[in-house]
Amino acid sequence: MTDKVYYTVEAEDNLICRKCGIPLEKTEAVFEYLDNSFPVELPACPKCGFVYVPEDLALGKVLSVEKVLEDK
Amino acid sequence: MDHFKERSTRDYFQKKLYSLEGLLERENRCIYEEPAFCHAACPLGLDAKKLIGFAEKGNFSEARAMLEHIAPFPRILVYGCEAPCEKVCRMNEVGEGIDIPALERAAMNLGSPKTGRGMLKFKKKQKAAVFGSDLFSLSLAAELARKSYPVSFYVSQADAVSLIKDCAPFLSKDDLAKEATRLEAMDIKIIYSCKLTKELFESEKEDFDIIAAARSFLNAYFPGDIPDSRTLLSPVSKLLSSQNSDPGVLEAVFDARRAGVSADRIAQGLDPGSSRGEEGARESRLFTDMSEAVPSKRVPEPQEGYTREAAMEEAARCIRCKCEECIKHCVFLQETGKYPRLLTREIYNNVDIIMGDHLMNKTINSCSLCGQCTFTCPNGYDMAEICRDARENMVSTTKMALAYHEFALLDMLFSNDEAFLAKPQSGYEECKYVFFPGCQAGAIAPEAVFKAYSDLTGRLEGGVGLINGCCGAIAKWAGRTAIYEECEELLKSELKKLGKPKIIAACPTCKKTLEEMIGAEVKGIWDILNEKGLPEGALEYDRPLIMHDSCSARGDSEMQTAIRKLADSLGCTLKEVPYNGDMTECCGYGGLVSYVNKDLASKMAQSCTKDEDVPYISYCMACRDRFAREGRESMHVLELVYAAPAGNPPDISEKRKNRLNLKRKLLEEVWNEEVIVVNPEYKIVIPEDVSEILDERMILEEDVYDVIGAYHAGGSAVCDEKSGLLTSSLRKGNVTFWLNFTEDETGVYTIKGAYSHRMKVRTRYEV
Repeated sequence: MTDKVYYTVEAEDNLICRKCGIPLEKTEAVFEYLDNSFPVELPACPKCGFVYVPEDLALGKVLSVEKVLEDK
Repeated sequence: MDHFKERSTRDYFQKKLYSLEGLLERENRCIYEEPAFCHAACPLGLDAKKLIGFAEKGNFSEARAMLEHIAPFPRILVYGCEAPCEKVCRMNEVGEGIDIPALERAAMNLGSPKTGRGMLKFKKKQKAAVFGSDLFSLSLAAELARKSYPVSFYVSQADAVSLIKDCAPFLSKDDLAKEATRLEAMDIKIIYSCKLTKELFESEKEDFDIIAAARSFLNAYFPGDIPDSRTLLSPVSKLLSSQNSDPGVLEAVFDARRAGVSADRIAQGLDPGSSRGEEGARESRLFTDMSEAVPSKRVPEPQEGYTREAAMEEAARCIRCKCEECIKHCVFLQETGKYPRLLTREIYNNVDIIMGDHLMNKTINSCSLCGQCTFTCPNGYDMAEICRDARENMVSTTKMALAYHEFALLDMLFSNDEAFLAKPQSGYEECKYVFFPGCQAGAIAPEAVFKAYSDLTGRLEGGVGLINGCCGAIAKWAGRTAIYEECEELLKSELKKLGKPKIIAACPTCKKTLEEMIGAEVKGIWDILNEKGLPEGALEYDRPLIMHDSCSARGDSEMQTAIRKLADSLGCTLKEVPYNGDMTECCGYGGLVSYVNKDLASKMAQSCTKDEDVPYISYCMACRDRFAREGRESMHVLELVYAAPAGNPPDISEKRKNRLNLKRKLLEEVWNEEVIVVNPEYKIVIPEDVSEILDERMILEEDVYDVIGAYHAGGSAVCDEKSGLLTSSLRKGNVTFWLNFTEDETGVYTIKGAYSHRMKVRTRYEV
């Protein structure tokens, strides 16, 4: 895996993992689709590993990349 | 087999859509590119439609350039041409044809000549000689000069004006002078005042590679040496000459064009008859709908020719013959902006691409497969077949992303699994009939289905079983052959258990699909109702209605008639619209367009209901639903027959609930079976605005319950400390669903928002 990061979402201070009770932290994550993967940085719980994908990211960048890959 | 395994962009499979012959056979049916009749009738290939188009816009210089391109002496042509183009003008059928020669004259008189020196051309090595003057030899000399042959032109006249005058005696003095100037500007060595004798010919010909002559010269010195009808090469003298001794103006100019082609072949040392391509006038296969052509008379051309305004007025009468029969009423083709021949080639090429962007995928999946084009096209072009074949091809080569049709396919599997019901009539083991209402009927108008089944069991003898599920059309539309075959296996096995009864369908698509599947006639419930009469309590409807024919009833006049008979017995006053019956348009459900291209599907439904502001009645539940979703008053004929109005169109979750509730009601009330419903221990509130978002984003309530269920069972969530909003997610199949929600002390979850994505997400430490 390369060190390149395609997209970064900063972890806002007010986001807390409900299960673990600790703040989310900017974490190295990866999006995978149709045998392609994209390293990204997203807020995630450092303990349970729950990765948070905000709505504007899901319906924006993620959706547009999905559409491009679907027709590759 | 896992039908819902995502494709990989690392798989490289390819399968030809059609053989080359198969592709050409299909493409050739489309006549969009055929020339207009006037264009086809011109042996010189002048595109008169284009010229008239320039004239209409007042762009006479472009029109003039077209004439100067096709003829070396355009004034001779426009004043002397016999104009076969105007004889075939379709406007002759409804009034007076367009005066094309007058417009050509206007182009020459009102347009400016092209300026500029053009491209630098090198002279060819082969030299040409032309002996004697007539219109053919004059035109050929100019043609050869244009092809960059050094040309020597031996004529008896003393100057250019008398030469042009002898060749075109009909020209006015002014035009004579202009054409003489044109001749003098050409790169031709003219030997004036020549004695045209055989001796001159014999002594000079050795110096030239190409020799041509006026026909009178050939007749005088080589009597009986007749030029070949195609190449115009005389076998004995090897002279190129005109076919006839006294050709008309158009024929002489066309012969010069053909002789020019022969000259090229001779210069290259080739057979003059080879590789000549298409020459001369031809028949156009074009179809032009004249039903809306307005009869009109010619604008008279005065002696001095048209003024600019008069020419533009005459040109505006042209209807620009073209065949757009399929495009006129197909929203899909209008949206693509392409005609079927071009679209077919692009789809074929798209399927052929192994790596790279498949730009036509969405287009292939946006055809409603309704078959309207096959009926509107004069040659029966079948765009639906091509799009369906392309979809099957894409599925078989793993190029079809699941994202396009997954929701519809899962809905089909829901119909044939959780919501599926197949039973003989209570008290029977085998039945004479089986009622097959179809998945959309149960989803949209469950009460009508319930009452219809009760009615059929009450009025038909021999037992009426029930199969409530999907006929397989969805899998077929999606190009998923394997899922269709599983559906076929399921339905055939259930039919066998019921003693192979006669099927009574309530949906035209089910009827068509099942007939193909089992190879036997399927009745429509409308046939039974016409035979047995209306049930008690049927609603009478006295307002005018527009009957919208289902696209699956295309070509089935019996079904179309039976429905109208049923509507008549309900007291309906039907208004017929032009695009109905076999020409009907699709509502946007067919071919799964509404799942792939929502905007296009909306336009399709709007196009179906654009004609008048009266309610629409249909016999296809999908049509009824799609029109209602577009805000049009619409109803299914069974809603009237069984006095069971379905109300507002259900959203995607309600459609599922309706099917499950119908199954439960049938089991409990018809078969007296107890159905146990397990409710979750937590409560979820979905406000109306969120329901609309769920419907828009194709997220089912079931998905909402699953996400909350997983959270409730100890799953993770993100809490925004400022707002107190919780966000949790769940991966279901190929989709990750996200919910924004709040949780109160009593354990009630209120949903605030929802979204989804297909990509998988994980931290980089997980494997």
